[in-house]
Amino acid sequence: MNGSEGSFEVTPLIAAAHELKAPLALVRQLALRLGDDSLSPAERQQLLDRTVLTSERALRLTSDLTRAARLDSAMFQLEPINPDQLCRDVVSELQPLFQAYGRSVAVKGRRHPLLLVANRDLLRRILLGFSDNALHYSLPGTAVHLQIQAFKKTGVIRVGVRDFGPALSSDMWRSLQKKLNTAPQAIHARPESSGLGLYIAHQFADAMNGKIGAVRHKDGATFYVELQASNQLSFL
Amino acid sequence: MSHVLLVEDDAWLADVEAGALRSAGFDVRVAPNALAAIDIIDSIQPDAIVLDVLLAGSTGFALLNELQSYSDTATIPVILCTSIAEQLNDVQLKQYGVHRILDKTTMVPDDIVAAVRSAL
Repeated sequence: MNGSEGSFEVTPLIAAAHELKAPLALVRQLALRLGDDSLSPAERQQLLDRTVLTSERALRLTSDLTRAARLDSAMFQLEPINPDQLCRDVVSELQPLFQAYGRSVAVKGRRHPLLLVANRDLLRRILLGFSDNALHYSLPGTAVHLQIQAFKKTGVIRVGVRDFGPALSSDMWRSLQKKLNTAPQAIHARPESSGLGLYIAHQFADAMNGKIGAVRHKDGATFYVELQASNQLSFL
Repeated sequence: MSHVLLVEDDAWLADVEAGALRSAGFDVRVAPNALAAIDIIDSIQPDAIVLDVLLAGSTGFALLNELQSYSDTATIPVILCTSIAEQLNDVQLKQYGVHRILDKTTMVPDDIVAAVRSAL
């Protein structure tokens, strides 16, 4: 059914263009709607808010792409990070977007005393990306949870983003597993996504000696990043 | 009043598109995914369907196939509303009851109204 039927090569550039189309098209539609003279002040304000939030989502992607392209030469520092505090910062940053979409986002689980070794900016970007993905897949009225789990035997800390939505089919799950460790895929492999977000997250995690993964649930999915625990203890 | 089913997974875009259709006098039901769309089709048998292609969970193509599988739904005109219009083969899509393809990146809200009107 696809005009190109067979697979076609998707470079990161094409994938980026594809991923940016949706928010840009939405911004355009919202702006066109703003031209309606019959809108009430409240409706106008809501459209303005949505335009700003959608623009910010698109800007996050462009910013992540720039960062991913400069990973090799960038000077970024790995340091002990308190994942609990970072998750709370991410939640604060995303709260307006989630509220505007009728969903919520929260850190779940007890406060964790362990620190992990990461670059704060890269880890924040991974969590923002996973959360944005979760927003898309979660059902209205549900909450997205940021969760921290420590694996003491392996010295690994997992920071995950859990969404509650339709279960992924087996086909989609297999497609997703491929994307977790590869370059962006042909767009029709999973039509709603080129896998660019996962590719960027993979690049960021790799730069911190970590890895990303996903867990399928009967009512949604968890995307996570695993990083080495720090020997230091948090005093917070 | 004609019933229109709008299948769009972005709630904000769905608001804009549904608003344009309602202002033109259509009764609009919105489904965020293919499964919800099938539930609505079973209950109201819409006069036309405005369908996004890139849906979460399943694709618009899967819904098109489902519609074609039953005689009572195969004749419902479908208007595809997508941001990948340039990648679609409209000749093939006509066989799936697709009346028209709208490009989300260039259309204005009134284009949906005009497309639905011409499909009825």
